[in-house]
Amino acid sequence: MTPRPPRARGVIGLDEAKCTVCMLCVRECPDWCIDIDAHVETLPPDEQNRRPRSVNVLDRFAVDYGLCMYCGICVEVCPFDALHWSPVAEYAEPTRSALVHEGDRLAQWEATAPEPAALDERAVAVDPGPRRRA
Amino acid sequence: MTVLAALEPVAGSSAADAFGLTTVDVDASAWPDAVGVAARAGATYLDFLTAYDDGDRIAVVAHVMTPDAGQRVLLRTWVAADDPELASVTSVHRGADWHERETHEMFGVRFVGHPGLRPLLLPLDVPTTPLRKAVLLDARLAVAWPGDKDPSDSEGRPRRRVPPPGVPADHVPPPRPA
Repeated sequence: MTPRPPRARGVIGLDEAKCTVCMLCVRECPDWCIDIDAHVETLPPDEQNRRPRSVNVLDRFAVDYGLCMYCGICVEVCPFDALHWSPVAEYAEPTRSALVHEGDRLAQWEATAPEPAALDERAVAVDPGPRRRA
Repeated sequence: MTVLAALEPVAGSSAADAFGLTTVDVDASAWPDAVGVAARAGATYLDFLTAYDDGDRIAVVAHVMTPDAGQRVLLRTWVAADDPELASVTSVHRGADWHERETHEMFGVRFVGHPGLRPLLLPLDVPTTPLRKAVLLDARLAVAWPGDKDPSDSEGRPRRRVPPPGVPADHVPPPRPA
């Protein structure tokens, strides 16, 4: 068998720490295979933010691979690069419901995603600096 | 003589190139003739025949090529969406039978002269033509759209109603199961 290319579209992994629950992937998905549950938490003021802040906290991120058509639109639209393609494709299941991958499996897939392509040699790393005050 | 040159008298000048494939528009009345001319000029292999919904009219397209794939042409014709009727090309390509059956069940195009326009893929009792844009997918209406949720609302209701893609804005979704 020919070896699978490292950037093959096998499965999509999620880096939960990067997800801000913006819902873009859920709303762009053509076959509605991503489901997100989240709630809002209020953070107390700190040195950088004088007022309390509301942040979205992810409760559940699930991809139904029985519906997914591997278009990769979710990976494209994610503004924080939380979703990545992994070449792993060995996840056949005996039942339809077992194809719904919850956060733990998505984290597992994320670990198998290849490193992003190296930057162009002329690319300049930019220090984003301290976060702007709200 | 190339397939394209042979098609010139049937098609006139309305040929367009896109992605390395030449599309030749022919009049609906000349449809079987054009396919026959292409076949006699060497394009004896019918790759596929299908259609697409373009609003008030439906395009029927047929991709024909020479057996060595050296020449290939996309033949296209237009029929009215409210009364789509077109002559069958099964007399030219026997293999167009299933393609026309599928195009008939999916887009409602009636192929005159076809030996038996039974549904090919759909059950016999499907009343709609699913690939027409005016037809809504039942699943889209019955299933709650996951994008409807809004995490910034404590009860999970969206602030602003965004209709899911493919569903008209005035559609009222079914109540969510509690």
